[in-house]
Amino acid sequence: MDKNNHPLKVALHGMEERTSKTMVMYLQGPCRGAAMVVNDNDADIDVFDADVVGIGSLMAEHRVKKPYRPVIALSLRDGELGYVLYVKKPVKTDDMLAALDKAGVLIKQNEHNTAQSIVEKSDNVSLKTFVLDNDERKKTAKHEAAMQLNEKGFNAFIGNVAGLDVNDPAQLGNANYDPKNYFQSHVESAFKISRELGDIMQLNSGWSPVIIFPKDNEVWLDADDKQLRAFSGLVIAHTLNEKISTTPLTFESSSVSRSLEKFYTMDAFLWKVACWASKGRYPNHIDITQPVYLKSWPNFTRLLITPHALRISALLIKEPRTLANVAEVLNIKPQYVFVFISAACALGLTGQARRVADVLIAPSTEIKENKNKGFLSRVMSKLRG
Amino acid sequence: MSQYKIIFTGPVGAGKTTAINSISDLPPIKTDAAASDMTKSKKSATTVAMDYGVMNLPGGEKLHLYGTPGQERFDFMWDILVTGGIGLVLLLDNTRADPFVDMKFFLDAFSTFIGDTAVAVGVTQMDVSAKPTIDDYQVQLSGVGLKLPVFAVDARVRNDVSILIQSLLYSLDPGLEE
Repeated sequence: MDKNNHPLKVALHGMEERTSKTMVMYLQGPCRGAAMVVNDNDADIDVFDADVVGIGSLMAEHRVKKPYRPVIALSLRDGELGYVLYVKKPVKTDDMLAALDKAGVLIKQNEHNTAQSIVEKSDNVSLKTFVLDNDERKKTAKHEAAMQLNEKGFNAFIGNVAGLDVNDPAQLGNANYDPKNYFQSHVESAFKISRELGDIMQLNSGWSPVIIFPKDNEVWLDADDKQLRAFSGLVIAHTLNEKISTTPLTFESSSVSRSLEKFYTMDAFLWKVACWASKGRYPNHIDITQPVYLKSWPNFTRLLITPHALRISALLIKEPRTLANVAEVLNIKPQYVFVFISAACALGLTGQARRVADVLIAPSTEIKENKNKGFLSRVMSKLRG
Repeated sequence: MSQYKIIFTGPVGAGKTTAINSISDLPPIKTDAAASDMTKSKKSATTVAMDYGVMNLPGGEKLHLYGTPGQERFDFMWDILVTGGIGLVLLLDNTRADPFVDMKFFLDAFSTFIGDTAVAVGVTQMDVSAKPTIDDYQVQLSGVGLKLPVFAVDARVRNDVSILIQSLLYSLDPGLEE
């Protein structure tokens, strides 16, 4: 085919003006003039962007009007319609030229072919439908941005244990806590039950009840952070344990209208409760002689960010390390590692390496510096400033 | 003086322009065109060339913020944009038909660049469509052996965008001090 002398005529669909102009240049340039863009009425070929909302019905409409006209679709997905020549995005010039060649062959066949048109069943691109939930947007606590704590604010917000210096290597053995002694373990247990049953449950504790909505990953509590922090930091094992229970919520109770700003995500709620129980200590089921790894990054924009939590995550996501190693490598106080591990453990985001190799090959106490470290540090200062 | 830049990418309507606007020290230079086709159903204007913003640092240094065109068609422009980039911010719209397909597409398209640098993923519109959840995204990534920062993001909120970029920078070097 002499592409320059006899370019194919294509009509563009699903592309706005500037995109169309770019396609014109693309066909002229990289595609060496194999096709030119014309009006719909003058075209031999239709080219659609198959990923645009509502394109399925537009393609079906065109198919009815022009049943013999070849169709090329630029798509992220593999093609489903038999009559369409699909070109996978990002569009490669060779693929585009191959599709145009095939379309050219089809045009010639159609010129000599009087066969009846076969109108394929319209397969609309499946469109995700959702109802804009105005109530969801009013759940401000659930969607609010994270609070980023720095070292100065740590003790005031997280608290500490009188008479214990968790940063003193000599006291490291005592720098742990048993979540079972705290509200944390009851919240974890209630979440587990609620998720397993898929039912709305109520955690009763003699304090404000916590209503758990597992399907929406939400809790509702009529208390502010100050009250929750105080209750989460109390050792309640010997005083309230017998009073604490998790019970199904009746349909009537679950249907009661609740203040929308008091909804929290389950993860954000448990994360905070664990931080306040920890007070800079690590949970006693962690063996501090064994490396710990992070299964995935926490959703930090919706969680309380304790000091250095992002750095700790970035380090542990790469390889398992002991808590002491993390503190040493990052040159930070162990309490910041401990509180992060407590919260991440509560959400099931950590694991402890049990392989012999992980223990035998001690991770380095140094990390490879990025070549742009100085610049990146200045960007970080600006972001945190 | 070296030129440093972060690239913002993602499908149409994911909030790239807004995110750059949230973090830039200057009003971003936009090259939006009025949408004249189905793109209109998503937003009234769409970015067909690129967005640009800048963070000014002490000493006159600058971090340039570039947004790729939303339309996946213009891949040839991406290659130009990523040259010299220090990392990628991928924004995904949780209301799209299949955000996982979008995620895979963009991670594949930028795989070479990501391999040399790092990527952080922000999921927008979660207050409109809560599903898929962030955990669902992590499961998808885990299936292809990736452990990336994936956060719920409101592109209008500077703090959200800031935390996303911080995670990107710490992925490049956890030794950076706070």
